[in-house]
Amino acid sequence: MDLLTQSLEQDTAPPVSLPPPTNTEANFSFGFTDLNESLHELEDNDLDALMADLVADLDATEKKLAADIEGLKVPSPPPPPKGESLLPSSPLDYSASPASSTSSSVCTPSSSAASPLPPPPPQSTKPTKEEIEAQMKADKIKLALEKLKEAKVKKLVVKVLMNDGSSKTLMVDERQNVREVLDNLFEKTHCDCNVDWSLCETNPELQLERTFEDHENLVEPLLAWTRDTENKILFKECGQKYAVFKNPQNFYLWKKDKKTLKDMKDKDKEILIEENFCGTSIIVPDLEAVLHLKEDGKKSWKQRLFQLRASGIYYVPKGKTKSSRDLVCFLQFDNVNVYYAKDFRSKHKAPTDFCFVLKHPQIQKDSQYIKYLCCDDAWTMNLWVTGIRIAKYGASLYKNFKTAEKKAVVNSAWTNRSVTSSSSESTPSPTIKAKANGHAPKPQPEPVFKDVGTCPPPPPPPPSPPLTGILPPPPSDPAFPPPPPPLAAKSSSKAAARQQHLSTNFPPPPPAMDLPPPPPPPPMDESSDTPPDFLPPPPPAMGSLPPPPPSLLSANSLPPPPPPCFKGVGQSLPPPPPDPGFLPPLPPPESVFVATGAPPPPPPPPPPPAAAARAPAPRAPVRASGSVKKMPPMPPKRTTPSLRGGGGGGGGDGDLMSELMVAMMKKRSNP
Amino acid sequence: MSVKKIEPFSHFRLTETDKKRNKPFLTKAAQLSAQTTTHRAQERLHFSKPCAEETKVWHVTSELHVGGVIVKLVEKTQIKRDWSDHAVWWEQKQQWLLRTSWTLEKYGIHADARLVFMPQHKPLKLGLPNGITLRLHACFSGPVFRTVMGICRMLNIRHPEELSLLRPLEEKKKKKKDSAEEIYDLTEVPLSSVSRPCLYNGMPAHFADSPQMEAIYKMLSVTQPPPAPEVIAKQYRPASVVDKAHINGRWLDSSRSLMQQGVQQNDRLWLRFKYYAFYDIEPKYDAVRLTQLYEQARWAILLEDIDCTEEEMMLFGALQYHISKVSQSEPQLMSSSTAMDDLDSALQSLEVKMEGEGSSASELLENMTAPELNDYLKIFRPKRLTLKGYKQYWCKFQDTSIAYFKSKEESIGEPIQQIHLKGCEVAPDVNMAAHRFLIRLLIPAPEGMNEVYLRCENEQQYAQWMAACRLASKGKSLADSSFQSEIQSIHTFLAMQKTNTGSHGNVPASDESINTHSLVSPRYHKKYKAKQLTPRILDAYQNVAQLSLTDAVTRFLQIWQALPDFGLSYVVVRFKGSRKDEVLGIAPNRLIRIDLGVGDVVKTWRYNNMKQWNVNWDIRQMAIEFEGNVNIAFSCVTADCKIVHEFIGGYIFMSTRSRQKSDTLNEELFHKLTGGHEAL
Repeated sequence: MDLLTQSLEQDTAPPVSLPPPTNTEANFSFGFTDLNESLHELEDNDLDALMADLVADLDATEKKLAADIEGLKVPSPPPPPKGESLLPSSPLDYSASPASSTSSSVCTPSSSAASPLPPPPPQSTKPTKEEIEAQMKADKIKLALEKLKEAKVKKLVVKVLMNDGSSKTLMVDERQNVREVLDNLFEKTHCDCNVDWSLCETNPELQLERTFEDHENLVEPLLAWTRDTENKILFKECGQKYAVFKNPQNFYLWKKDKKTLKDMKDKDKEILIEENFCGTSIIVPDLEAVLHLKEDGKKSWKQRLFQLRASGIYYVPKGKTKSSRDLVCFLQFDNVNVYYAKDFRSKHKAPTDFCFVLKHPQIQKDSQYIKYLCCDDAWTMNLWVTGIRIAKYGASLYKNFKTAEKKAVVNSAWTNRSVTSSSSESTPSPTIKAKANGHAPKPQPEPVFKDVGTCPPPPPPPPSPPLTGILPPPPSDPAFPPPPPPLAAKSSSKAAARQQHLSTNFPPPPPAMDLPPPPPPPPMDESSDTPPDFLPPPPPAMGSLPPPPPSLLSANSLPPPPPPCFKGVGQSLPPPPPDPGFLPPLPPPESVFVATGAPPPPPPPPPPPAAAARAPAPRAPVRASGSVKKMPPMPPKRTTPSLRGGGGGGGGDGDLMSELMVAMMKKRSNP
Repeated sequence: MSVKKIEPFSHFRLTETDKKRNKPFLTKAAQLSAQTTTHRAQERLHFSKPCAEETKVWHVTSELHVGGVIVKLVEKTQIKRDWSDHAVWWEQKQQWLLRTSWTLEKYGIHADARLVFMPQHKPLKLGLPNGITLRLHACFSGPVFRTVMGICRMLNIRHPEELSLLRPLEEKKKKKKDSAEEIYDLTEVPLSSVSRPCLYNGMPAHFADSPQMEAIYKMLSVTQPPPAPEVIAKQYRPASVVDKAHINGRWLDSSRSLMQQGVQQNDRLWLRFKYYAFYDIEPKYDAVRLTQLYEQARWAILLEDIDCTEEEMMLFGALQYHISKVSQSEPQLMSSSTAMDDLDSALQSLEVKMEGEGSSASELLENMTAPELNDYLKIFRPKRLTLKGYKQYWCKFQDTSIAYFKSKEESIGEPIQQIHLKGCEVAPDVNMAAHRFLIRLLIPAPEGMNEVYLRCENEQQYAQWMAACRLASKGKSLADSSFQSEIQSIHTFLAMQKTNTGSHGNVPASDESINTHSLVSPRYHKKYKAKQLTPRILDAYQNVAQLSLTDAVTRFLQIWQALPDFGLSYVVVRFKGSRKDEVLGIAPNRLIRIDLGVGDVVKTWRYNNMKQWNVNWDIRQMAIEFEGNVNIAFSCVTADCKIVHEFIGGYIFMSTRSRQKSDTLNEELFHKLTGGHEAL
């Protein structure tokens, strides 16, 4: 409906007819017409972000394809030992699965790979070529169908304002929830990932602000915005978001004196949370207060005694008792959201500035259907807003908190070393302007195509484009974060660090951290500041093949080939905060190098799994050659990696990384 | 004493020959009455024995142990039967002699003792939360806590510690009705089979014996139909907190036996959930427990034992309606065996799978041919300041929106307007008598909410469009599987309105129409006519209509538990230093002090701040110490302080359950926490 929304249908459509990889070039022409316009609209940084998304998708698809091909071409003899025949399929799943985990339909490639249809060809029983082809065909049809389905998914390009005044642009898919978007932003920024980080929606016209709940889908509320909206999305820390879980006593025992509340023991807090959130029923704080209500359509404010119950807000009618049966229902929560109001004293002549508002999310302008309430103090206002959220969202709220907490813990592990995260000022700066306006979503997919087109070996990109949109940000699961686009950027920056560590088997997180620390807050995206590297800014790079050559050279020379490419890419992208993640992958790099020397038969690196992974990888590079970006997707792991490193169990990741590296090398060398 | 009525007994005279050993060694249970015992040279024991015709007097030495006495007794009667459940009851002392290895001397039995030899399990009339009365054998010799465990085992209720026995209210002038009351008889259940509950066909084996027994199990595990409004009106309703407090004075003491508390065989007791801390409810295993819990909650709401708002009452009403409807149509769901469950879930997952597999192609197709509604309807937009009133348009309902055209012929072109219903509010305005079928829509837009009325011609049309609007408001299209059932439920409610218009109140509840007065407390019988109530309940019903039986029951319980007053058991107390009566509310996690005059909560103390509590049995006073040097003390007015003590200790016991995951009930700990001075 709005400019924000645009479907990627065109892109998706093509895949159906997907010819074998070689023919793929034909598809590239898709959507180009739109692309140009949209490209103009897009700022460089936007493009970068989008590209990152796309690349990630592409990568996944490519790998899958590569695996397939490998199966075909190398039935028995190929570099990988027979015993590892399974490898090809498994590594693919691996890489793909993270992405898929977020949203099932998203990564079609992964799913298809995993699905029974395309059983790993290389299996000990060598399938005949025909069989394999048939399978591939079936696979592709399936893929295409899924793409079609995907096409219906709405995607928005959203501009998020950071609290340092900068902004970031990302694509959000209908199925993504706020948690996923936050994770995505964590990747892009250098923040400390604490639980207070939130996405907020502001409505300047009504002077309202609301924190999105982590389980909400982001696209839906944005669709309610009007075409000419001034509304913005902010990424900032909101202490109130999960205050109830940090100090439940303030909400559940609010009648007690302040000192008791302050001295509450942690154990008692836990008990409170357990009582109210872990039982069969969620218990809403028992709130009762005299609040000022702005009468429907009138300018005056009237006092009433309100009560909060799980079923809604009630008030005590004049002359009646407080007994439940006499209460009059003021409002139920099914169709309304609760918003903090700003400066209502001047706007609505409210008795105080501590106001909150209840309205249907679709209502964007002043209306008699908006309920304005005013509290005597900020404390009361927070009590009520939080209470209403508990009543409305119930158990989801607690689940969200648990997830956020997990995320924060993971990050804190390394954040400690890296000192304070960049942009973690707690002061929310609402003034920052962030426009949610998006550009047509189409642009993103197109860029990818372009690259492909220019490059000689454009393999399976077509299928991937739809995927890009889908790519959800890495879910909370730390083990394998899906390769979110943002990561790509970081990876590049870290590349340098990586090289140094190559020799060491274990991932020394701290050192890595030091090396790469790019300025956290300044969103790299925004400033397409040319990277220190010789490479030109990413977008252009794509068009002009420059990057590939250098990479090739380096690759040949062995050690640091891949990194350079990354760097170029990465630079343009967001800052690389999650260095730690990189550390774990270190071992793989080694293998990579080896691989570069002898492309086909990758030497078995220490970790057996890695070796397995490699086998499929080599192929992939060939196709991928065109897009430098591919590498970036891998980095996503970093976030989680920090944990892994500590745990010592980074085997899986290592494989992935090594695989990637190999793929990169391959690419380089092939062209 | 009442034993006499039931059967004649024989007296046996026992003569104690050894007088030297007369040191009374008192058992716990004997303590209370110990002082009254006097020592005599000659002591005789009167034995009464259920099956014997006479009372005999026996001579035994005080060195004989109880077991020996029983053996002799049985030998002398020369009656062959299973005596294993029999034990000796010391009438004067109100005490069971259960330790067969103890000598009479050790028990302190003297020649004047009157002993009764009788079964430990006796028939009892047990009122269940669902209002049905069962007759079953309960243990009269163990502490009530264990008796309840036995009953629950027989009825297949897990976590018996949450239940207890309550003396019923005196029933006045209701005697005639009592005789007519149907009593389900479980007295035939052999006690031995109950001890090891093995599930057969989803129910304990002893329920699978005969069709009659299965019927009883069904009664236990399936919710009862809504009671007639008169039945609700006739029931005792506590009018005030004090009334509620009086009910809590009726709980039996968990640490003493039924016999000790004066309960005789065939007496009537109520089985109720006493502690509102329901642990680990698992619908698969808890069919009876969940059903009875639901029934208790339902009655608590119908009788206003717990207060709620009108909106909540309507929702409870809607849930009751839904539950009764669903349980009639699929009575097996709650009691289905685990095997069936597995099958069900297997089928379900199969369905899901197939859906998933076919999703891509077939789903696309399906969406292309999505069902739609097309018809002439009259539309009115009250907010537009026009005098036009209703105007007829050709309306097309597709997906989640309505497009309308001037006429059918023009429906190929652009619609006059398209109304998106997602997120809108839908309200019915129906009057069967006046033949009015109106759908009021409140449609959100950036500027506010727009009102649109749709007027339908007849019932059929109304039901379809209403169902479509309801689904659309929740973002579901006509293709949604619930569309047909939604239409059906609208028809049902229309039918209810029809019947209600004729006779108000006394319509017998058939499955098609339920008197909505059966679903709400009597307060609303006065406030609303049934036909006024119907649309309000229907309104609430739309949010729950899709729930499965178990989900609906669970939802009912959740809303009940979310009520502010949930879980409060009241007792009138007198705080130390205070001159007036106040109310103590005992909740699963806290105590509250309520001012009787105003009804306000004056103070709250949480158990987790409690350091210790003491009972002074002499002056019947409880003293509780909280952290931070807070001490309170009170005496209990409407209940014995043992009851209050047991409530508090009981809740603390309940809170320990999560920590020890074992299935075995820590009976000892319960008694330690709730026992009287004997236990301490």
